[in-house]
Amino acid sequence: MTQNLNDAKTIALDRMRYTKNTFSSRMCYLAILFDVFYFVSIYESDVGNWYYQWLIGVSIVYNLVFMLISFLASEGVKNYKAGYGYLQFGLGIGQLVRIFILPNLAHAAMTKQVIDKKQVEVPVMQDGQYFLVIALLIASAVCCFAAGVVAVKRSRTLAAYNASLEKA
Amino acid sequence: MANISLQHLDKIYDNNVQAVYDFNLDVKDGEFIVLVGPSGCGKSTTLRMVAGLEDISKGKLLLDGKDITTAPAKDRDMAMVFQNYALYGHMTIYENMAFSLTLRKEDPNVIHKKVLAAAEILGLTDQLNKKPKQLSGGQRQRVAMGRAIVRSPKIFLFDEPLSNLDAKLRGATRREILLLHKRMNATMLYVTHDQTEALTLADRIVCMSMGHVQQVGTPLELYDTPANLFVASFIGLPPMNFFDVTVGDGELKGKYFTYKLSDAQKALLGSYKGKDIVLGVRPEDIATGGDIKVDVFSNENLGMSTLVHGSLCGAKTADAQITCKLRGWCDYRQGDGVAVQFKKVHFFDKETTNAIR
Repeated sequence: MTQNLNDAKTIALDRMRYTKNTFSSRMCYLAILFDVFYFVSIYESDVGNWYYQWLIGVSIVYNLVFMLISFLASEGVKNYKAGYGYLQFGLGIGQLVRIFILPNLAHAAMTKQVIDKKQVEVPVMQDGQYFLVIALLIASAVCCFAAGVVAVKRSRTLAAYNASLEKA
Repeated sequence: MANISLQHLDKIYDNNVQAVYDFNLDVKDGEFIVLVGPSGCGKSTTLRMVAGLEDISKGKLLLDGKDITTAPAKDRDMAMVFQNYALYGHMTIYENMAFSLTLRKEDPNVIHKKVLAAAEILGLTDQLNKKPKQLSGGQRQRVAMGRAIVRSPKIFLFDEPLSNLDAKLRGATRREILLLHKRMNATMLYVTHDQTEALTLADRIVCMSMGHVQQVGTPLELYDTPANLFVASFIGLPPMNFFDVTVGDGELKGKYFTYKLSDAQKALLGSYKGKDIVLGVRPEDIATGGDIKVDVFSNENLGMSTLVHGSLCGAKTADAQITCKLRGWCDYRQGDGVAVQFKKVHFFDKETTNAIR
């Protein structure tokens, strides 16, 4: 079941039969990495007990689930399984949605702090931290999308190529 | 492919142990050279010096006339196949074969073509997506060879590549190596302690002992005209029988037999008259129907031939032991007497151990 390997495009296609989709897989790992940075960055502000609420529990659990599924998907996309590509796409959407939950709420919420012996109201999450965590979530989402799109595209291409080989 | 010249190579380790003494060899383009000898004779050390894995203590190593004595292994353009395959367990067969080219940052499409071509030669096309642990020993060794082939090196080096395989697989892989050599016409240096591999594969054999080259020649030369007692005893299975004899007037007088010399043999041994020499006779050069008496103590049927182990005139001493390889199926029992004759013999100087020619 070998194809006549004359042009570069066919060779590149044929190569996919023996090489892994490492690009998508690495994008999954990168998405996990940005998520971890997001997760550790969110507690940077010293804001008393605002974060001690049910939402942070859900966020912790979601982080664990995200990391686990992304890691599993990284293996799936590595082996050109389109389903894991779609899954990664869904996780990317989830990362974008998260921007509007904890970071937005923390940025909008106000808390009292003593500054120069005066009690003043300040946002729970300052602008600098807010933009940082948003950037991290967007970066994580972009990695998920890239992993998903490339995985689906390559999986379909490989499936079509394998089908053409079967016919030949 | 390339010529390689090993000139007066010595290997002396830091603890002053000398493993190789004055090794000289010119390997021609496309030649298959086998280094053979018992364990510890320096054959692997020599190969490793050629590969650049061991420093050369003295002497020169030339590749196509260029001195590469001190060149690092990576710059020598040689590929080595090891006894233990040395495959990466976490990589697929394809990745294992492509690895060295990937490190060189070659074009992935070129790598792909080379890997597929090598896999085709070695019959590994269907195994490319598997991991090494899913393959048999013979297939793993073929992968190791494939990894060498894709590099298109000037010289192929094999360090006992078949030693880990069972007898049947060893035979099959040996034939594959031979076919590979014919197909690629590559210059190959092959180390083994197995004389069968040496005799079947080599264009020329280098027989070594204790770090010294004993004889360099074609397989037939080593078998037919061994240079000394060591080569005579090492090449040939079962090994040659040796007997101490005294050169008499037209005959050799042994402790248990007398051997009549032909005119040519008389002339050859003229200067040894009255002296002790060693008479060598290969088991397959012994036939029934002579005047030398052998008392059988075991009989091994091999199908086409029979190995008869016995002693001359029933003597129990070590110097009376003899092995005969007789044609056909024989059914001798312990204690049976067989009369044999020596069809072809070899003479060796007792002092120098060199062949008398």
